Amino acid sequence: MKNFYESSTVDTLCPVLVGTSGYSYTEWVDGGFYPQGTRTPEMLALYAKSFPVVELNYTWYQMIQAEAISRMIARAPKDFRFAAKLTRTLTHERDRDWKQELQHYREGIKPLQEQLAAILIQLPPDFTWSVKNRYYLAWLLDSLHDFPVAVEFRHVSWARDSVFAELEQRQVTLVTVDAPNIPKLFPYVDLVTNPSLFFVRFHGRNLQGWQSGNMQQKFDYSYSKDELQQWNDTHLHSLRTRAEKGIIFFNNHVRAQAPANAHCLQALIA
Amino acid sequence: MRDRSIIHLNVTDFAVAVERVCDHSLANVPLIVAPSHAARGVVYDMSEEAYQDGVKKGMPLSLARRYCPAAHILDPRISLYRKAMTALVKEVASYTPLVEQGEEDGHLFMDVTGTHRLHGPPPDIAWRLRKRVVKSLSLDPVWSLGSNKLVAKVASRVVRPFGEMIVGLGDEHAFLEPLSLDLLPGLYAAERKLMVDFNLVTIGDLARLSRKQLLVPFQKRGSYLYDASRGRDVTPVLAGVDRSLKITREHVFAEDTQKVQELKVVLTGFVHELGRRLRQKKILARRVVVSLSYSDGCSVSRQATDHNGTDNDFALRNLALTALTRSWKRRIRIRGCTLSCDRFLPRSPQQSLFVMRPVQEVQQEKLLSAMDAVCDRFGHNSLRLGSCF
Repeated sequence: MKNFYESSTVDTLCPVLVGTSGYSYTEWVDGGFYPQGTRTPEMLALYAKSFPVVELNYTWYQMIQAEAISRMIARAPKDFRFAAKLTRTLTHERDRDWKQELQHYREGIKPLQEQLAAILIQLPPDFTWSVKNRYYLAWLLDSLHDFPVAVEFRHVSWARDSVFAELEQRQVTLVTVDAPNIPKLFPYVDLVTNPSLFFVRFHGRNLQGWQSGNMQQKFDYSYSKDELQQWNDTHLHSLRTRAEKGIIFFNNHVRAQAPANAHCLQALIA
Repeated sequence: MRDRSIIHLNVTDFAVAVERVCDHSLANVPLIVAPSHAARGVVYDMSEEAYQDGVKKGMPLSLARRYCPAAHILDPRISLYRKAMTALVKEVASYTPLVEQGEEDGHLFMDVTGTHRLHGPPPDIAWRLRKRVVKSLSLDPVWSLGSNKLVAKVASRVVRPFGEMIVGLGDEHAFLEPLSLDLLPGLYAAERKLMVDFNLVTIGDLARLSRKQLLVPFQKRGSYLYDASRGRDVTPVLAGVDRSLKITREHVFAEDTQKVQELKVVLTGFVHELGRRLRQKKILARRVVVSLSYSDGCSVSRQATDHNGTDNDFALRNLALTALTRSWKRRIRIRGCTLSCDRFLPRSPQQSLFVMRPVQEVQQEKLLSAMDAVCDRFGHNSLRLGSCF
């Protein structure tokens, strides 16, 4: 495998790592991705045989802890990469002491440093473009300036040139999303704000499920080969000519559709 | 055995939290919940502020007042806490039928194994649950996720008074190892003292001892300590059993008595009633408590326990008589006695595959079943357990 961090020329297509958002799903055993009888502690090693990168979801639910991360890294190959979501107390539930929370996060993520592909700041739908929120985001980005950071907006109000210019100036990656077409949702934008890295998340296109509020319905979608082919030929091709490297995650984890789609896209890219 | 996902939901200082929901002016005020008019009232619950000042549960109120003079004292409203607990259980019940509740203490265990197709991954369920409880009940629970009840409970203790913790399967031992033994649930005071004598400070210290080594000082409990220190716990989430339930019978003698036979007859009668009720409810009692009221107004309660639980009249009678022996230490006549049983377990319909039950026990079960059938048809007093002492 080519080293992900070897820089490539921008004129050619840059290397891309494809993976899924999370790997520890017991339903992926029933879904056939993991062999029958696979237990949770064995999943990462098995996952790493199929994909070179994973997005850590659980770091959103609880504060990342260095000891737990160290134990997890030990189960994966040395060249395996991780993207870690920023904890919800810094994005969705900002009622605790932000600075202390961020300090905990920085300490917790330390063991990942060598294998960290990016920190993902996923902002909630009610995080709209306002003075207060802009200050908050600027503070967050300042505090994480020494890490590779990617920002995913969930509100359309952030889709404006001034935001993109600021991200570009800070060399922060804007997450490119494939999601249902909902008016208030941040749309797909063909833009690379950080030439070092592009970051794509496939959420599925289940419009009804997205509005249901039920996670199992929200991410219940399987991309067809044609849809992925089209994505590869148009959007992905365009992104790959403008960045040095890219990571792509499938978030449609329900019934092991994410790894199936990731495999398919991997084959198309190859 | 399939990997389990157990969520522990814990509203810290439950009584205080409920009182603060009822009266917002009590927020940020040090609170002690205790019967203020009782001569020897003890602390039922206290807020974090009072706890930081040294107030503990069960502490005499007079002492608690000295530790935290600024504290606001509230009389316990048990029925209110029970009502809040019921509402809490109702909120979480839509996620899984396997919910085990404590008494009015804000503790809930939920087994969400296998519910991912309906509700998503377990961390997401726990997070949603907390959000739901905050929104509907204005209570902010700590949540933790582990592969068993023991690990989930310790995780809650680590993060309280607020926060969350996920302990991944396989990480149990590493998670517990550096923690203080004070965080390990189910330790008796005598065991804790013994551990201090042996200079065992962390759970990891305990885990370094073999099962055989632990059997020497801790005897039967050595096996539990061996497993617990390694984060092993196979006890199921006991759904459908209200742990606050207590079945009680009381008798006051026409004349104060000193005759042990009279007490034994009364207790045997109670045992028959309780045993039948347990069998009807398909539950097993693990604890039998005998309370004696002496003619000078004093009362003494003592208990006897059966770890596996029982609904057998003969076994219950043995427990009751053991508790009676333990409680009757004074040479003063008895005015009345109370027999109660609690700490229930659901009765499993499945028979043990490998352990042969004693013939006598099987015969007793058949006999009791026949007696129940007679009582069902001809009235509960038509056939009773005899007393021959």
